[in-house]
Amino acid sequence: MSADAGEVFDLGYRGYEGQRAGRWSRRDAIWRDGIRASLGLGRGVGGKVAPWLLLGLVLIPMVVLVVVAAFVGPATDPNDFELPSYADYHGWAMVPLGLFAAVVAPLLICPDRRDGVLTLYAARPITPTDYIGARWAAFLTVALGAVWLPEAVLFVWNVLDARSPGTFLVHNWDVVPRILLAGALLASVLATLGLLVATFATRRAYATVAMLAVLFIGSALGGIAEDDFSGGVADAVSLVSLPQTLDDAVHWIFGDEGDRPVPGGVSFAFLVGLTIVLAAWLVRRAKRLLRG
Amino acid sequence: MALLRARELTKTYGSLRALDRVSFEIDEGITGLLGSNGAGKSTSLKLFLGLIEPDGGSAEVLGEDPRRSPEYRARVGYAPEHDCLPRDVSAAEFLAYMARISGLPATAARLRASDVLRHVGLFEERYRSMGTYSTGMKQRVKLAQALVHDPLVAFLDEPTAGLDPLGRREMLELIRRVGGEFGISIVISTHLMGDVERACDSVVVLDAGRLLRTGRVSGFTEETETLELELVEGADQVAAELRRRGLAPRLDGRRLLLEDVSGHEYDVVRDAVVDVGALLYRLAPARHSLADVFAGEAKGDDSPDTARETSG
Repeated sequence: MSADAGEVFDLGYRGYEGQRAGRWSRRDAIWRDGIRASLGLGRGVGGKVAPWLLLGLVLIPMVVLVVVAAFVGPATDPNDFELPSYADYHGWAMVPLGLFAAVVAPLLICPDRRDGVLTLYAARPITPTDYIGARWAAFLTVALGAVWLPEAVLFVWNVLDARSPGTFLVHNWDVVPRILLAGALLASVLATLGLLVATFATRRAYATVAMLAVLFIGSALGGIAEDDFSGGVADAVSLVSLPQTLDDAVHWIFGDEGDRPVPGGVSFAFLVGLTIVLAAWLVRRAKRLLRG
Repeated sequence: MALLRARELTKTYGSLRALDRVSFEIDEGITGLLGSNGAGKSTSLKLFLGLIEPDGGSAEVLGEDPRRSPEYRARVGYAPEHDCLPRDVSAAEFLAYMARISGLPATAARLRASDVLRHVGLFEERYRSMGTYSTGMKQRVKLAQALVHDPLVAFLDEPTAGLDPLGRREMLELIRRVGGEFGISIVISTHLMGDVERACDSVVVLDAGRLLRTGRVSGFTEETETLELELVEGADQVAAELRRRGLAPRLDGRRLLLEDVSGHEYDVVRDAVVDVGALLYRLAPARHSLADVFAGEAKGDDSPDTARETSG
């Protein structure tokens, strides 16, 4: 007997008999969701504007500079157009990237908290550390992409523009690990701080303002310490100016220190320590939010 | 083996005893956790999920301590009482995501998400963002996300909260279907007796952090079955005739109440009414509601408000 074309089958309920994946697969799901949220994928046009605008501000100036350099040709005179150094471009990228951390990091935490979704995460087979770790990794992934890509463009251009790309590579291979390390430092400081600040706010706007306040107030304090005081105490206080400290550490990584009140190595060690402390605090916050 | 077991379970918040040495077992099927606000229902659910630590005693799910490992939560579902759905995501995407976090592979997660949304009646609306859903639809998504990973048991905290009478009836029917056809055990917490009577097989009654009673819902109501006769006239004569025939009717105006009657006594009542020639207006089993059961019980209790509050 053949079934009529219009016949409706009620399949009834079917349980799930298949394989159940392990813990890494669950973390991977949260990580993917975090990346989609960071980039506004699956959200409306409004959700895409801020992340893509800020990511564009990190990448596009470098592309424009490289295109200009291609037309202008190599510099022969000090007044000629010259491409920025790797370290200097980090100084520029820090501004849109800081804004990106202020605006986008809250997207990964605040809506979950505001809409009560954290309760559902808590009732799933994951721990608070799984949740916050995967969220952190997601934001870090996007931030790393944003900070490494323009530096990679600059490096590839420098290789192609060299008289002998092979020789250039042999002499300048050490730039690659420096780019990776500087980007990783910048991205992990901003990701950890941005997410930690976001765990204290239920509304995204508050988290954004708070993050900007942390960056600006630190900057202002650091500036006051440098201008009006001197000595070891002033140098220690000036470390809280994150943009300045990051800039110092990045220049130190590229071996381009110049004249700075605090040695770049100290700034670097301070930032690594700070990130570890902030990360531990972030895990504690996640435990409170998911178990509270 | 019991599905859930509470042993001397105790939880305090500051000076408040949310649960005070409560012991009970819950078997497969649909169980109601009944009690007024502050009775300890939500606290019990959270302890069974391992979301909070008990201050004493233990809560076991499938013979395991839920705090030991998060793994067991792959086979447990939970729908909280409050809002828990992201506004700017579609139900299909959200459910697939929740299934993946519970360990289903991506393709299976998407299939199950659609399938479960069809069962709760949201197949057409599954690609709309959930911010546009009505309260009834949100309650259905909350139920669906608790079932999407095919758990052995799902905890539903006040699943009928905020629903109109029709929505409430549909939700309870859906819960009965899940418990029956889907074979997923359900524990619902509610302060509504009606919900328990309509949907549950068993009930655990909590009051101010203590266990009041536990047992089968049908047992609760059957054991006190009463036959009610309402007569236009001749109630006195019928009462006298029934006493002569060995029954013990209670006269209440034109009404006669007979406690604990069974099949044979119905015949006796019929014959008595015919012999006296009384005018019968109504003859019906006055099957006791759970509210009456607890009203009777609370008389001897030191907190007489219990039954009245829980009957709301």
